Amino acid sequence: MIARPVALVGGATTRFGVRPTTWSEMAQEVGAALFRAVPELRAEDVDSLFVGAAEPERFAFQSHVAPLAAEQMGLRPRNILQRTELACASGQSAIRSAYAAIAAGLSDVAVAVGVEKMNLPSMAEANTAMGCVMDRPWDGASGATAPPFFAMVAQRHMLEYGTTEEQLAAVSEKNHRFANSNPQAQFYEKSFPREKLLRLPLVAPPLRLGDCSSMTDGAAAVVLAGEEFVRRYTDSPAWIRGTGQYSDFHNLANAGSLTDWVGLKQASRDALARAKITIRDVDLAEVHDCFTISEILEYEALGLCPEGKGGAFAADGRGEVGGDLVVNPRGGLLGCGHPLGATGIGQAVEVYQQFAHTVPRVRQAPDPEWALVHNLSGSANVHSVMVYQRGGSS
Amino acid sequence: MTSPVRGTTGTASPLSPPPEPRPSGSPSERAATARSRSGEKRPFLLDFFPLETDRETRLSRFYDRLRQGRLSTTRCPTDDLLHWPPRVACPKCHSEELTWVDLPERGRVYAFSAVLVGAPLGMEADVPFAVGLVDLEGVPLRLFGRIEGKPWNALRLGETVRVEPYDLGDGRFFYRFRAVP
Repeated sequence: MIARPVALVGGATTRFGVRPTTWSEMAQEVGAALFRAVPELRAEDVDSLFVGAAEPERFAFQSHVAPLAAEQMGLRPRNILQRTELACASGQSAIRSAYAAIAAGLSDVAVAVGVEKMNLPSMAEANTAMGCVMDRPWDGASGATAPPFFAMVAQRHMLEYGTTEEQLAAVSEKNHRFANSNPQAQFYEKSFPREKLLRLPLVAPPLRLGDCSSMTDGAAAVVLAGEEFVRRYTDSPAWIRGTGQYSDFHNLANAGSLTDWVGLKQASRDALARAKITIRDVDLAEVHDCFTISEILEYEALGLCPEGKGGAFAADGRGEVGGDLVVNPRGGLLGCGHPLGATGIGQAVEVYQQFAHTVPRVRQAPDPEWALVHNLSGSANVHSVMVYQRGGSS
Repeated sequence: MTSPVRGTTGTASPLSPPPEPRPSGSPSERAATARSRSGEKRPFLLDFFPLETDRETRLSRFYDRLRQGRLSTTRCPTDDLLHWPPRVACPKCHSEELTWVDLPERGRVYAFSAVLVGAPLGMEADVPFAVGLVDLEGVPLRLFGRIEGKPWNALRLGETVRVEPYDLGDGRFFYRFRAVP
């Protein structure tokens, strides 16, 4: 069966950061930004809405957010309206679901929006929300949140491969530097030289503050269209050519090797095979740098470098403009912040803008044709990958 | 994923627990008045620890044994498979005929870190605390848990720890690891 081709035809994000605003207000704000960014889009064109939201019940005391988001954005979905929840990958899940619906002919034009409000008056309450992403009565009850888990990944990678704190800092420095070209980023106009990063306080040893993405408020939205509708909206579509996803555990006891992300190997292999390309064809990658060590393991699992050499890949600048490929040019989760439901959609907006050459030159990948987007979720127990091609024709 | 094992330690017993004496008050009343050691009262949906009696979970046997100082889990006799966490149906053959087995009380630290900031509700007073993955001696299980008995920066990879019950102070128990001096 040949599925109907589907493309991103535009997108927008709000400012990411510690925002003096609510979940619903950000949904309105991103709706307004989306209709400005895609001037040919009319509300009645949008037959379906997919809402990426990880924990609105915990962070905003709100359930049933799909119709709430529709109302905030001025949309009346008539085909499919649903929320997608996959923790840190909730945004990409919204895009994948919209893609599936359009490819199957159940929708023609769909919006995927992600909204997350994470900064609360009580940090302990926000941390409680993050703790129940884990297997709550077992790992959560033992105090597991993301930082100590990824800290153990870093500890094992350092033990097994000699990865250093300086190599971790190289990832953070790159992504924070890229974020300085992105006015929507949480850490826009903040400087993080490596010497400074290595002196920041420990959060979960060996990870320091600069190794960890932040609690972030933000929203992002993209429009997807079936091939016969694409040209109505854009001359520079980003065609979805492949997707892949893999999950092999949830409880931390069942993680197996902490340093061999077999789920990402499988998901990226599937996505690249469906696109009929290899990782060497990819010009631009938006990968899930929730922690510096994550980006290092992602270089390895994606096959950009041999096992154990991710730290050197970072330190040698191979993910910079002018390197092997550009990795996380919008600033990554480290530089942009990580509003769980919005992150995957913010990454897709960057792909669209990179293909359209509308990003600042300091982060523009040279004439990119292929892009890969990756999100992990939870304790890297789910990996989700999408491959985009610049259009051209379908 | 869980791994197959050849021969397990401990004694097998049926999954269904025998009737046990019930604490006074309904389960919901007891949950509503559950207090942590610090005396802080938390709503159920802000409490990481599970409800543990046979009125609330089919895994109450786990907590009953923990109260006696025994760490246990379920095993599928069909697949010769040890589970973690304990289950009511085998993930491999989906049999619901599982048995309980005691687990070794010692293990070695495979990886560890510490929570220095950013603790959830009810754990703020514990900061800093160490957590880690521990390979239990003689069984293919690697359990996550709190590690007590030493400051986090004195722990070493490969260090021997033992499991001990942790009294939540409200009738409930959980497990923690303790570094062996």
